[in-house]
Amino acid sequence: MTANDTTEPEPRHDAKPVPPLPEQRTEEPPAEAPAPAAEADPDAQAGRRRLKAALWPPRANRAQVIVALLLFVLGLGLAIQVRSTSESSALRGARQEDLVRILDELDDRKERLQDEKSKLQDQRRDLKSSSDQEEEARKQTEARERQLGILAGTVAATGPGVEVTVSDPVGAVKPDLLLDAVQELRAAGAEAIQVNGVRIVAGSYFSGTAGKVSADGKRLKQPYVFKAIGRPEDLEPALKIPGGVVQTIEKEQATVGVQAPDKVVVDALRAAKRPDYARSSS
Amino acid sequence: MIAVLGLIVGVVVGLIVRPVVPTVVEPYLPIAVVAALDAVFGGLRAMLDGIFDDKVFVVSFLSNVVVAALIVFLGDKLGVGAQLSTGVVVVLGIRIFSNAAAIRRHVFRA
Repeated sequence: MTANDTTEPEPRHDAKPVPPLPEQRTEEPPAEAPAPAAEADPDAQAGRRRLKAALWPPRANRAQVIVALLLFVLGLGLAIQVRSTSESSALRGARQEDLVRILDELDDRKERLQDEKSKLQDQRRDLKSSSDQEEEARKQTEARERQLGILAGTVAATGPGVEVTVSDPVGAVKPDLLLDAVQELRAAGAEAIQVNGVRIVAGSYFSGTAGKVSADGKRLKQPYVFKAIGRPEDLEPALKIPGGVVQTIEKEQATVGVQAPDKVVVDALRAAKRPDYARSSS
Repeated sequence: MIAVLGLIVGVVVGLIVRPVVPTVVEPYLPIAVVAALDAVFGGLRAMLDGIFDDKVFVVSFLSNVVVAALIVFLGDKLGVGAQLSTGVVVVLGIRIFSNAAAIRRHVFRA
């Protein structure tokens, strides 16, 4: 490279063109006369004149045509290179080691992204399983809430059971007789009880006088219809045992009918009451 | 004049025809173009000095292109292609600048 640098083209032109100098002069007659005569100052003038002479009257001599041919090749290469650099991607025309380096970088990047992807997938799986567990817990809690709701009277219940109809035309049935009936049903395993649209729960009470009975402060109209969900084979005999509820009520000149349909619906509801003092300890 | 026309026609043809360069030649094209530019500036300077010779110009043009491509090719084979092509571009750039300075002195007398 250094050798090339020292022997620049101008020196080469300088060295060789000594013989072709006259040849050149024949091409440019107007510039000839002053150039050799005065060397120092008119030399610059001569350069300009030579440039003008070469540019303006277009002459198709050998030198011009050859130079035009080479410059055509140069322009072609220039245009191709500029276009391929500007329009195609940077990878085009890139050298092999650059391509290898780019490929390595892409591989690294891909690996990193794969790692990230698998990490995120793990995270997603964890979150999903934990949300599944939460869903399960929520379902169990809901089922438990329904069970407790039946006991507390906040949800309707349906199932096998008995319907007891007490007709008291003379108004002789006292509240404690109805309470006895409820106690008897509970003792026989009734899970949900209602009387004429009043849900019987743990805190229910009967009040009033014979013939004007209220349950939980609500006046009951005749006939008194008990609906109880439970095992009918237990509930029915419990009511009908000798000296039991049925006999006691019938003694008061009231009539008692006991049926055991396949499906008893207890749909009287009671608002859930939030206890004032007691709190869950669990 | 014809030479300048040749350059313009070359650029236009290159832009319009869009010739496909074979992949083997592709990495050497930019260096070859820079080397040719150097030769052209050298020739222009020689013309202004009044010592232009078309034979010398043709030889210097072709040898510049070939040598530049050869250096890059050799550099690629030796594994220092990028550095060598940078070096070639730097050297050619310096020469283009010195030639441009000589041309400027002729044209503007400054």
